Amino acid sequence: MKSEAAALLPRGQTPARRGRPWALLLYLTLAVVCLPFLLPMLWMLASSFKTSGAIFGNPFSLGAADLRLANFTEVFTRYPFARQYLNSLYILLITVPVTLLLSSLAGYGFARLRFPGREFAFLLTLTAMMVPSELTAVPQFLIFKTLGLTNTHVPVIVLQVFSATGALAVFLMRQHFITLPRELDEAGRMDGLGYWGVFWYLLLPLSRPALATVAIFALLNSWNDYFNPLIYLNDEALMTLPLALQRFTDPLGGVFWNLTLAAGVLVALPVLAAFLLAQKQFIESLAASGTKG
Amino acid sequence: MTPTSALSRHSSPKHGSPRHGSPKQRRQEAMAGLAFILPYALGTLVFIIGPLVAMLGISFTSWSLLDTPKYVGWANYHKLVQDREFLGSLGVTGLFTLGILALNISAALGLANLMNLRLRGISAFRTIIFSPVVMPVVAWALVWKFLLQPQGPVNSALQGLGFQGANLLFTPGTALGTVVVIEVIKSVGLNAVIFLSALQGVPKEILEAARLDGAGRTQTYTRIILPMISPTFFLVFVITLIGALKVFTPIWVLTGGGPSSATTTLLVYMYKQGFGFFDFGYASVIAAALFGLILLTTALQWNLRRRLVFYEE
Repeated sequence: MKSEAAALLPRGQTPARRGRPWALLLYLTLAVVCLPFLLPMLWMLASSFKTSGAIFGNPFSLGAADLRLANFTEVFTRYPFARQYLNSLYILLITVPVTLLLSSLAGYGFARLRFPGREFAFLLTLTAMMVPSELTAVPQFLIFKTLGLTNTHVPVIVLQVFSATGALAVFLMRQHFITLPRELDEAGRMDGLGYWGVFWYLLLPLSRPALATVAIFALLNSWNDYFNPLIYLNDEALMTLPLALQRFTDPLGGVFWNLTLAAGVLVALPVLAAFLLAQKQFIESLAASGTKG
Repeated sequence: MTPTSALSRHSSPKHGSPRHGSPKQRRQEAMAGLAFILPYALGTLVFIIGPLVAMLGISFTSWSLLDTPKYVGWANYHKLVQDREFLGSLGVTGLFTLGILALNISAALGLANLMNLRLRGISAFRTIIFSPVVMPVVAWALVWKFLLQPQGPVNSALQGLGFQGANLLFTPGTALGTVVVIEVIKSVGLNAVIFLSALQGVPKEILEAARLDGAGRTQTYTRIILPMISPTFFLVFVITLIGALKVFTPIWVLTGGGPSSATTTLLVYMYKQGFGFFDFGYASVIAAALFGLILLTTALQWNLRRRLVFYEE
């Protein structure tokens, strides 16, 4: 059976069978191909320990003197980086649950309930999904300026929730609810549940994978959001991490690369660690958001 | 007839509740539906759709931060078609998009074929190729900006190889290409994974039949595998194209649109006009132009889809 399966592969897909030199060559190719993907991250990590003087030297010549954590402490003691980290975290803790709630509510409405204007409302959702949020930046800015909410976190949170991310979340939740058998709803209704009860007690508990998909890309988009914070946040203490990374400069704009890269490690590490722990979910989520968005 | 199919016969072809029930029940359902979508729909209307319409309106005004808006008709549009910087940014957007499309799609296909190898430890390779996709974009751009400093490792290496004064990111001739490469390395893993799943979806029986018929490896690849994955090709083409039009952050962090506008795409130009000079009217015209471009691409996509793509069935 096994050999039959192997025979079905096109020639060239079973290099291991062609002997060692061939496999070795392939491994070597793969290693070289990996370099542009892996090296920048390793370089960042290695450089984050260096002094600003040694930063342009060979990054991987890590002597004992090079393993210093001074950059990491300096980032927190001389800059409001801790505050900015908390800003990003608490914004994330608002935007992700709110996105999950709004998108599953709307997704259920679009998938299951019949109401006038449904098709049109859904068309608007698709439009919101397609339009890059940058296009609507000027009118949005005028709204928040009129409300006196520039230089606060309100526009950053609100626009994150209703941006293309939010629309995509609604779209994915709707697609998900359509796949659930309608008999569930009918059984629930016979047992006396209302629309809310069906949604909350029956369908939502069955939606964990879809919710995880939405949560992951909502989380990444919130953590990485750059454009809106760039427009709305001027106060250093209000800034989020993507902006904070560009604040390690001298008064003339010269960049302290050692601090910048150390801070970059602190921003990237949690995300990369989460990716390594839940690779399958991350890839599924990003593929879904990439192909639908 | 199974109970399931009997039930589904009652529901209308479009999803939604079966069309039975008293008018009162129908009204109840409509109210519930509106209530469920209300929080999201209201927000989208106010913060996305409204601004989208307003953007088109503002494009007919002269409006800056301290001014009140003045209706100026098509003046902004006239200015736009004669604005060398705008035309330049249109060209940059075109080159950037073409570069991304060519490099990303060919690299993604190549990587997908490597990922599809049956080798021990190939999943580690997949992980590595994909990891820049999850890397925070500003951190990614900043590492590259560091690596590409005039005295940084990349340029030093090039100078060592005899390219005197190599300075890839800060020379107008090479900046755009460099940004394209950095953006492709960041995002190609996603397309590669999409191609990979398409490659794995090609039925083995077809490949075997081809082999029995004496098709060579190249022939099998170009005549069978590639046509079989053409829907994926098309999907990847479209998402990469529209994605390229939306790129702002890495460009802004890497170059700020420079040197001498060499990397100023439409979005960067719009940002400069809108939030550098606070010329809201003119920024809105640029946004309208980009909106038109996105609509055009989407329409083109629907047209091409029928003609270029082979679907089974």
